[in-house]
Amino acid sequence: MNDNHQNLVETMFPSDGSGIKPYEWMISPTRQRQWIDDKGVFLWLAFFFSEIGAGMYFMSLFYSFRPGIVIGWLITLVLGGIIHMLYLGNPKRAWRMLMRPNTSELSRGIWIIGVFAVLGFLQIIIPGGFNMVFNFIMGILCLLIISHGFATMNVIRALPAWSSTIVLPLSLISGIWVGQQLLQFVFVLSGNSAMVSGMEVWSATFFLIYFLCIGLYAWGTWHMSDVAKMSIRKMLEGDLKRITLIGVGVLAVLVPLIFTLIMWGGNTNGFLVFLRLASVLAGDLAIRYLIMKTAVYNPLL
Amino acid sequence: MTYKTDEIWEDKWVNTTCGVCYCGCGAKVRVVNGVPVKIEGIKETTMGGTNAGLCGKGVAGLMYYHDPNRIKKPMLRTNPEKGIGVDPKWKEIEWEEAYDIITTKMKKIMEDDPNKILFTNQTMRASDGPHNHPYFYAQAFGVKNNGNFIIGGGSLHCGNACHMLGGLIHGAWSIAPDWRYTKYVLKWGSSKGTGSGHSAMTNARLRADAVRRGIKEIVFDPMGNFAGGKATEWLAILPGTDAAVGLAIANYIVNIRGEMDILYLKAKTNFVYLIKEDGTYMRHEKSDKPLVYDTKDGKIKEYDDTSAAWEDLALDGEYEYNGEKVRPCFVPFKEHLKQFTVEWAAEISTVPAAKILEVAKGWVDNAQIGSTITIEGKTFPYRPVSSVTFRGSQGHTNGIHQVAAIDLMAQLVGAEDVPGGTLGWPAIRRAYPGGHYEQTCTVGTDGVIVPSVFYSHDPWPVHAPTYPATNMGCVDVWTHCTLSHIPYVEEVDYIHEKLGMKSKPEMIFGISANFVISNSDWDTAVKNFKDCFVVQNDLWINETDQAIGDLILPDVSYLEKDCWSSEIDAFFFSGSPSYEDWYVHLQKPVAKPIGESRFFMDVYLEVAHRVGVLDKFNAKLNDYYGIKDPDLQIKPGEKLTWKEIGERVLRWVYGPDKEKIEEQGYATWHKPIEDVYWRWEIDSRCPVYMEYLIHDRRALEKIFEETGFDYKKLEMDLDQYTPLPTWFWPESHKDLDSEYDLLAFSYRDILHTNNTTFQNPYVDEVSKMCPYTFTITLNTTMAKERGFKDGDIICIENKYGVKEKGIVKTMEAQSPKVIGIAGQGGLWADGRPIAKGKGANFCKLLPSKLKYFDPVAGNMETAVAVKIYKA
Amino acid sequence: MPRWGMVIDVKRCIACWGCTIACKEEHFLPPGVFFNRVLIGETGKFPTSSKLIYPILCNHCEDAACVEACPTGATYVREDGIVAIDESKCVGCRACMIACPYQQRTYYDEKAKNQEYFPGQGKTEMEVIGEKLYPFTLGTVIKCNFCSERIDDGMKKGLTPGKDEDATPACVNICPVGARVFGDLDDPNSEINRLIMEKKGKQLRKEFGTEPAVYYID
Repeated sequence: MNDNHQNLVETMFPSDGSGIKPYEWMISPTRQRQWIDDKGVFLWLAFFFSEIGAGMYFMSLFYSFRPGIVIGWLITLVLGGIIHMLYLGNPKRAWRMLMRPNTSELSRGIWIIGVFAVLGFLQIIIPGGFNMVFNFIMGILCLLIISHGFATMNVIRALPAWSSTIVLPLSLISGIWVGQQLLQFVFVLSGNSAMVSGMEVWSATFFLIYFLCIGLYAWGTWHMSDVAKMSIRKMLEGDLKRITLIGVGVLAVLVPLIFTLIMWGGNTNGFLVFLRLASVLAGDLAIRYLIMKTAVYNPLL
Repeated sequence: MTYKTDEIWEDKWVNTTCGVCYCGCGAKVRVVNGVPVKIEGIKETTMGGTNAGLCGKGVAGLMYYHDPNRIKKPMLRTNPEKGIGVDPKWKEIEWEEAYDIITTKMKKIMEDDPNKILFTNQTMRASDGPHNHPYFYAQAFGVKNNGNFIIGGGSLHCGNACHMLGGLIHGAWSIAPDWRYTKYVLKWGSSKGTGSGHSAMTNARLRADAVRRGIKEIVFDPMGNFAGGKATEWLAILPGTDAAVGLAIANYIVNIRGEMDILYLKAKTNFVYLIKEDGTYMRHEKSDKPLVYDTKDGKIKEYDDTSAAWEDLALDGEYEYNGEKVRPCFVPFKEHLKQFTVEWAAEISTVPAAKILEVAKGWVDNAQIGSTITIEGKTFPYRPVSSVTFRGSQGHTNGIHQVAAIDLMAQLVGAEDVPGGTLGWPAIRRAYPGGHYEQTCTVGTDGVIVPSVFYSHDPWPVHAPTYPATNMGCVDVWTHCTLSHIPYVEEVDYIHEKLGMKSKPEMIFGISANFVISNSDWDTAVKNFKDCFVVQNDLWINETDQAIGDLILPDVSYLEKDCWSSEIDAFFFSGSPSYEDWYVHLQKPVAKPIGESRFFMDVYLEVAHRVGVLDKFNAKLNDYYGIKDPDLQIKPGEKLTWKEIGERVLRWVYGPDKEKIEEQGYATWHKPIEDVYWRWEIDSRCPVYMEYLIHDRRALEKIFEETGFDYKKLEMDLDQYTPLPTWFWPESHKDLDSEYDLLAFSYRDILHTNNTTFQNPYVDEVSKMCPYTFTITLNTTMAKERGFKDGDIICIENKYGVKEKGIVKTMEAQSPKVIGIAGQGGLWADGRPIAKGKGANFCKLLPSKLKYFDPVAGNMETAVAVKIYKA
Repeated sequence: MPRWGMVIDVKRCIACWGCTIACKEEHFLPPGVFFNRVLIGETGKFPTSSKLIYPILCNHCEDAACVEACPTGATYVREDGIVAIDESKCVGCRACMIACPYQQRTYYDEKAKNQEYFPGQGKTEMEVIGEKLYPFTLGTVIKCNFCSERIDDGMKKGLTPGKDEDATPACVNICPVGARVFGDLDDPNSEINRLIMEKKGKQLRKEFGTEPAVYYID
């Protein structure tokens, strides 16, 4: 009879810290599940790819680097888009998502991506596409896409950990920082070491801002409300604790910090840039995962 | 999201009776294309909740029909070895073979001694089947006094003391507050109006209106959950200590406040009866009637002498009769109460003294002694206070005194069967207009009421203990055990040997009782019954079937049943206790029987026929319903199905309206107000002073001496045979020590009826969303101190080494000295996969020894001293 | 045009789960899907703690967060205030599910569809017929519709929702203690408006500004 008890315990008292006790559902702060559990992971990945692609596109504009905007454009639309479709219950009806831009943040996002797709394509194919006006418009569109995922989450009043304005700086910088790292690595691959070295000052700057924004997010959320605090607390409990320590502590912060210090003053090394990029990608995914996984609803009672 | 109506070729509603618990609410079932898909209540009925209201488990009842685990053919054990954990190696057989096996066994036993057959019945199936008929079925076999029954489901925890006093005081099986007019309700280990007890949803509906009206409801309970959680005030009390608080309140009323309904005491209780030094009544030398003293005439008279006005009867003083000193029994009673102070009660019960005092004051203040109320032009005494109890407080070795003490409060202020007070379920069932079958209570010896119908022997007049015992339950000796019987304990062989019960049981026959796991210590139950040939009519193979069953016959669920008799004679515990019209529901089949399942009543008739007792049974039916019309009587040699019998009985009971009633699925007619508030309409007296217990004690002492039955060695406490409600420590408390320092108790969860509902996936699903249903509850602070947290698997162990595992859930609203377990979980039958492994089994922790039974009423001690540790 | 609303009397409720299970039968909901639930909690400390019982369902908010979040217009507020879902327009993005502060929406996917009440033993006749009679669309979001089909059909027959059983939500009909009252919030003389006024009806989490149509009284 022991096994049966164990099954019941797992149903009623999940021990991994991420589960929901059915009798506490919406009585205690209750974790959101749709946008991270099961097929929800696609949304996490979709937001990530659309945003870092836009980040890379954005950074490439400053260098008028056509391969960069092509890759960024492809990551955002193809990787981000396909994964988005995988997430949807009825992808064939996706066009309907353009119907409610006046109220739905999601609908607005789709419009922006649509405009980005068309204008980006034009910028790629038109010779002399890197003019001031085009760059400005595309830059704005990129920033909107970068912040799109968080903007969608931000409007949800019932999830305090998402609904505060302090998620926006982190959202913006994470897209830019990861996009910039991608671009730097593309330059490594293209053998343009002067460019790689020259970009390092941006790497250091963006990393510093990124690091500060993570801190700001954690501090701000902790002090916002009891329910929001629970989100941060959840990051430090159970299975998530490991992701927080390794993903955020080591991969998102410590490794990039060490490599950035090693390459301080433009003393870049292609392999280290690659390693740092890998670490940053994993670290940023971890941060996004944690923010989505730990969002909890205000209880109803 | 909408209906696709083009898929529907048949869509109908069938009126029937809910069969998920023993309440029998009116229910209607929607059948689409032949498939039952929805259950609702019947809007018009008074048997059920508001409008068409039904409780969750009632709505979920559909799954009884849809469960693929139902057995579809008779199942025969092929493995001769029995026991828990032994595979019975079932084999499907044909009905004919099953009947052959049963009749061969029965005939052989009948030639020898019919008392070797035990019958089972189970409370869950009260509305899910004919109520009373299994009892006369047993009688047709030659079993006397309903003594050969094992009650499953509600089991030995069933309400012996409550039924006993319900019968003696109210002529009914159970009690409820008069929700319509009451203002102040005390509930003692009872969940009336909040989910359980008889007529649960009827009471819930009436209570909901009452709380909206603003009544005060005070609940004494070890936990603040179903009853306590909804109360105006919940007072945490230790299990089995209600009597202490009750007696302290009685003492407050009599000796401190001194405000009583004196006229009621003089007119409606036996407090005026004169007793001798030894406590027994002084009786009239010729008529043998108890005597009273008429202060006006200054004379001693027979109690029913009409020349003495009620108000002139003496409640105090000392008199002489035939040279012997006599006094009204109220005198020693008043004196006796003085020892029960609120401080003393607080010490025992853990309810703060100030709270007890507050409740006592509230009780007297709200009783409005002397006031009257006029309803529909009739004037009644108005006593808007009610004190009710049921299984919770009576399930202890001091059960009879618990119930008597709780009743006492109402007696002292005259709040019995008057508007606002405590009501019994109707003691009177008038005939349906144009029909027959009227049941009215009568007044028996000493002016005590005799219920019109009582399942088991009547509580009054008390029959003196006799021996040799003639049935398994030894009802001859323990004469107050109404339903559940004492001797199914470890010492059964000794008890039977000494008390001269010669027939060792060889066969068990009955309906889906799960007595192996739902009474007490499982091993004792298996040991006591495994040598019998066990035949049960059941929906599934339950735990008892799997452990000791030999032949399990597939029964129909209530949804497939054509049962005219489900509520017909259950008026004294079913239906509305309030002033509301009568509704008696029939059970109509909503779908065809599953597999080869057959309604157990038809199986009973077939077996009776083959064994040769059918005529006797039919004669009992004629007699029970009082059928005088020769066309309707069942004649010798006639073999009818249950439905065919119903055709005749219904015609007799409802007369020309029979067809109409069958068509609509229920009968309804007016209940006169005097039948509800009958206390002052029927000239009877409550035996509050339990004089009969003195005689019982003497008779028992004599029997024990003559038979050498060593009751002292078995720790049977004869001191409880005392006429005055008194404080006795429940046996569970005596077992408490530094190691076994917690009292485990069980309670009814609104979602569950015994253990059958555990197999219902709808109920199972929501049970998992309840914090307490499938868990063991501990007080939050206590759990923390002991290092337990939610989700821990713990082991509970009693003093006899019996263990049960369960999952911890902490709650604030529970006494820190107890642990709570809902219902009858901890199930393991392979035939009920949904139920398997859910909850914890409380019953197995109850030791099966004579000393754990109330020596008077036979209640089992349903609290147990335990220790807990991490499993 | 009425605006349908509900009052739930918490004082009457005894947590029997009748609403939850009746709703499951009414809409043939598969295991794990609930349009009605009962929240059971506790507040305070022993010995003065008290039990909290809150039956919950879709609040049919006037300013519904789900409607705002829906990118396709599949979720919309009917003229009578009922928040409805047009499953032919739903893309299954679940933005509504995330947005609902009351968490009253369920995603109907293969996993939900394949659940059996008797796991591993196949679907019962009731589950099979339910999928035919009351089909859900895979990959869409489902939720309580205030039994709008009962209301619509009932009104066509001239019945009054909240008064006549056949035009009233199933959870209201089944409640054995009369804890649920259904009616028109726009009618100042309706029973529910009387109760809201007299007993000071409260909406759950009013601060989210969604203007729920379900009120609680105690």
